[in-house]
Amino acid sequence: MRADLEALAKPRPPLTDGVEIDPVVAEVIRGGMETICFEMAVYVSRTATTPLLNQSNERNASILDANGRCAAVSVGIPQLMLASALPVRFAIEHFGDDMHPGDVYLANDPYHGGGHLPDYNVFAPVFADGRRVLMASIQCHHGDTGGSVPGGYNVSVNNIWGEGLRVPAMKVVDAGVERTDVLEMMAVNNRQPGHMGDLRSQIGSAQLGAERLGQILERFGAETVEAAVDYFIDSTGRRFRDEVRGWPDGTYTAEVFGDHDPWGNPDIRINVAVTVDDGRLVVDFTGTDDRDELQAWSSYGNTRAYSIAQVACITSPKIPKNEGFFESIEVIVPEGCVLNPPYGKPVSAGTHHPGTEVGEAIALALQAVAPERAVPQVYKTGIPTIMTGEDPRTGLPFTDHSAETHAGWCTAAAGMDAWGAQNASFGNLWKATTEINESLYPHLQLDRDYRIDSGGPGQWRGLCGAHYIKRTLVPCEIYTYVVGMKYPMPGVAGGGDGAPNKLTLRYGSDDPFVVQHTADRVPMEAGQSFNFDYGGGGGWGDALDRDPTAVLDDVLDEYVSVEGAERDYGVVLTGSLEDLTLEIDEDATAALREERRNGQGEQG
Amino acid sequence: MGYRVGVDVGGTFTDLLCVTPEGEVLLDKAPSTTEDQSVGVMNGLAQLAERVDLPLEEFCSQLEIVVHGTTVGDNTMIEMNGAETGLLVSKGHRDEIELRRGFKEEIWDPAFPAPAAIARRRARIPIPERLNYEGDVIEALDEEAVRRGVRRLEKLGVRSIAVMFLFSFVNPEHERRAAEIILEEFPDVERISLSHEVMPRGPEYERVSTTLVNAYIAPKIAKYINHLQTQLRTAGYAGQLLVMQSTGGVMPPDYVSRRAVSTLASGPTGGVMGAALAAGRAGVSDFVAMDMGGTSFDVCLVRDDRPEIKTDWIWRYRYYIGLPMVDVQSVGAGGGSIAYVDQGTLLVGPESAGSQPGPVCYGRGGTRPTVTDADVVLGYLPADGFAAGRMSLDIDGARKAIARDVGDPLGVDVIEAARGIARIVNANMANETRRILASHGADPAELSLIAYGGNGAVHAWAIAQELGIHRVLIPKGAPAFSALGVLVADYVIDQVRSYVAPLSHVNPQRLIDLRSALVGEVRREFEPAGLSDDLIDVDLYLQMCYQGQNFDMSIPLADGSGFDEDEMAELGELFHQHHEADRGFCFREQEPLVRGMRVVARGHTPKPDRFAELGTESDAESARIGTRTAYFGPEGLDVPVYDGSLLGVGAEIAGPALVQEPFTVVVLPPESTARVDADGNYVVEI
Repeated sequence: MRADLEALAKPRPPLTDGVEIDPVVAEVIRGGMETICFEMAVYVSRTATTPLLNQSNERNASILDANGRCAAVSVGIPQLMLASALPVRFAIEHFGDDMHPGDVYLANDPYHGGGHLPDYNVFAPVFADGRRVLMASIQCHHGDTGGSVPGGYNVSVNNIWGEGLRVPAMKVVDAGVERTDVLEMMAVNNRQPGHMGDLRSQIGSAQLGAERLGQILERFGAETVEAAVDYFIDSTGRRFRDEVRGWPDGTYTAEVFGDHDPWGNPDIRINVAVTVDDGRLVVDFTGTDDRDELQAWSSYGNTRAYSIAQVACITSPKIPKNEGFFESIEVIVPEGCVLNPPYGKPVSAGTHHPGTEVGEAIALALQAVAPERAVPQVYKTGIPTIMTGEDPRTGLPFTDHSAETHAGWCTAAAGMDAWGAQNASFGNLWKATTEINESLYPHLQLDRDYRIDSGGPGQWRGLCGAHYIKRTLVPCEIYTYVVGMKYPMPGVAGGGDGAPNKLTLRYGSDDPFVVQHTADRVPMEAGQSFNFDYGGGGGWGDALDRDPTAVLDDVLDEYVSVEGAERDYGVVLTGSLEDLTLEIDEDATAALREERRNGQGEQG
Repeated sequence: MGYRVGVDVGGTFTDLLCVTPEGEVLLDKAPSTTEDQSVGVMNGLAQLAERVDLPLEEFCSQLEIVVHGTTVGDNTMIEMNGAETGLLVSKGHRDEIELRRGFKEEIWDPAFPAPAAIARRRARIPIPERLNYEGDVIEALDEEAVRRGVRRLEKLGVRSIAVMFLFSFVNPEHERRAAEIILEEFPDVERISLSHEVMPRGPEYERVSTTLVNAYIAPKIAKYINHLQTQLRTAGYAGQLLVMQSTGGVMPPDYVSRRAVSTLASGPTGGVMGAALAAGRAGVSDFVAMDMGGTSFDVCLVRDDRPEIKTDWIWRYRYYIGLPMVDVQSVGAGGGSIAYVDQGTLLVGPESAGSQPGPVCYGRGGTRPTVTDADVVLGYLPADGFAAGRMSLDIDGARKAIARDVGDPLGVDVIEAARGIARIVNANMANETRRILASHGADPAELSLIAYGGNGAVHAWAIAQELGIHRVLIPKGAPAFSALGVLVADYVIDQVRSYVAPLSHVNPQRLIDLRSALVGEVRREFEPAGLSDDLIDVDLYLQMCYQGQNFDMSIPLADGSGFDEDEMAELGELFHQHHEADRGFCFREQEPLVRGMRVVARGHTPKPDRFAELGTESDAESARIGTRTAYFGPEGLDVPVYDGSLLGVGAEIAGPALVQEPFTVVVLPPESTARVDADGNYVVEI
């Protein structure tokens, strides 16, 4: 039982056949819709009951038109905001004319357009002049979704049914009346006590969006609003194609690998061929891994969302994010490969891997045409390092997801050294802190400083990864799976790779455990630590082109060592860091860089 | 009783408001002096002295109080030209300030720039030392490392040192000892900012950011305030100088110098406090305060006469400021906002022509059309007699620029183009207001609008229509409203100190100690103000949340609680109730987490009886000075023009109409009415 996902993703016709619209009115309506998205998202932050939704921004609102085209989105998690259209389109087809004012629908099934089961899409149609004109839609990541393990990420099963409750599209509010039978069914299929609060919050948000859209329809009239939607989707499409027309036509390919799946199956291959054709983009994943024994699969909706999100970071950030943008990118994924799994495969963990490899592959392919910004906006974490044990203060079990801030995998762009903790596209998440988490869990966070020389060298330097040392104060067990060891974050446009990940449990003891792929409940004693050396980001451009004074600054700031300056950048320093007397040996640097360049030439 | 003066330094003008011993209200403006703001302040005082026919010395000696709002801190952060700053920080947490809990402002742009560093990594010295969450010493302070670090910072040219050790707000001993060592090693250091003093609560990113900003701007602010005080003394002023903070309250210079960061963004706060007072007198308790000036549009929600205070998620100049602040949001929309067409779309702002070169119609060399240019083309602003008769506006220049940059690209005539500019900027401001209201769960239809700033009166009607607001209040003193707000503000201390524990594990003695420390500190800080006890209110709150939440709720504490088991259970229940009222749900089965105690202390200051001088004409017709063509739709209307300075209490005007005030125009659309109330507000019904 699956929908034809590629058909759902196909471009949809405009609402009108070119009705004239005052561009000022169109802009006022567009601004109004973006504001409504913001209001819907904030409504969830204010009223949702679990921290995932009311604290860490794992929600996103969008407005679609009657044909299921995305008219406006709020700023949330990119992959989430871009996975909103397909489930709504499925519902439009499924319910047809049986959608009515006051209805609210819910969907989450990856084989009917969703990303993965924990992402619930709730949406309400908006009517005017007796016809459906718009759809207010809100997506939230839920902390549980039924299935055989809590949390929604069950990496021990090989099918979707073990992952949780599947909803292709279902009416939860019928003409303004809550369907208590349906909501009760949702409640009993979820472990979280706050689940109903979250669902009601999401329903309320969709209803708020529908009400506010109704006001806009009343003020401007349905025909004007429809013409406005056509107008700004069309003008966005033109802006996107104008930019892409600046890229040389051709087909550009990349092949990237994930280290392994949670079961240790190695070298998961992603192939992409991106064709630039007179302003259009075709992203084709033909050739990608399709081994049946794999556990991690990315749903078609998730693959499409990662593809669009990565392209959005490579094109001008000023282009609005609506259907005009999305429909200019055609995503081809052969059914049966890890990015469009055969029916029934598990897909929960696929939002991490192989999902992130989608972004990595597209960025690497587009280096050929837009090197300045072709920076992978992804991460290389398998799953968090989960620590479980019993808290002596309460006598209760605790589960610490090690969600504290740490730096990793952040790659430079042309003109900008990588900075902060993670890539820009995750900038909307708000990570946990030492001072709060030490009050909650029996551990000490001893270190999370940047690791010297771990950022990929380049004309613009990749960000260092963090040392992340955590000491447990009680006996505990560690559960995790680690990637990015064999395939670290690659450099861009000739930049060097970031340092790989390395996780050592019982770090510094006489019985250390270096994680090869999985740590399945590995015990640690009270007072022992784990050290996660998080991988660095890739560098951008040839490190030999980096301004030597910038390298000197990096050494003074201990992002780069004196040895690293010479080894990675060909910059020779004299004097002492300790005494602040470091200086560039200009002659030796010029000679060394010359020699390296010649060497590079000979190597080919 | 002597003269009372409020002075607010803005980007272009230094606004002054003086209440005379007789209760008269004088408004004045002097050009701001960016190099040294005190010059503009002293010039303004000289202007006021002249108005009351006194020599400056005589006037100053008769001053009862001078209250000051300054933008020295804001300017320092805008230009990033503060003190050379270094940081001593718990080992292993050297990079919190760069990590920013992962936050980045722009999620679609991999080349988005990093914020300019206050202390580069080389000037952030990791110090071996460690406390646990209860303040117990896990690792002793490495004093030798502190000495080495301070010597290194001195060598690096550092002048101001911040110290941030983990859990210092529970046990400040390590930070205090580090301060002693700094003074021993580096006696000439300009300032030491200890994190437990600047922001006595967790978590670490918020605290290190706030402390670093404080260290960065404090030397400049302290120098400036000292300088101004000296000049006031020299001029004969013997009283207290009070300084406005972003809490919406004032405090003496000594307090402010220690918490320099509390003056950041205090400018817009003054206007909100003025609006709250004016609205309260007019019987309006729930409203949106809206300040539209030349470059920015500032919005604040006020409910139950109290401006919303924000305690979390406060970003200014790309740094996190972890102090409670009046929640004023600024967007780049003002009279100077530039209009342009990009790929067929008309956009307005955020780029602004500012006051230099300014709008095209100012004739100061501006060439790109702005909102003010549209306002003059649409007939809202007069060609002659603008800015108290000191300025005439070049309508032809404005028309040409609008036709060239907006009309031609869109293929419409100049009026249509000007209307487009006005509609876009009004929609932008209305959308921004909606966002702010949404984050507080407020519905604009249930609120009034109070508009001030140079352009507030011109655009308020349109924003109100966009938002479905029916009542607009425009105070007479609107263009210099922030000076009024500064003058009427109360003394305020608003502080949170951390103590983290699940409700059932709270140590009552810790809470009792925390309370006496907080109350003692408030008394100490208020002492120099010489306020009698009946003028001081102290409210205490327990900060609570559910485990996993990032944001606290303030639960009011009864006097003299012993925090025994029953009382804690009651507080828990109160928290559930507050949570349900504010968020719509609660978890009675979940144990709340205590995260600290908050004190809000208020020392009341006298308020003037009225806020502006009024005219005497209660029949508007006698104040009518002409007719002008203005556009409220595609067709121009012949609209009556009134001289606002002549209008007295009770005067009524029916729209469409234009009421010219010395520094602004009150625009009344068709089918609206306005009435002048007893305090000099235009009460507009739309």
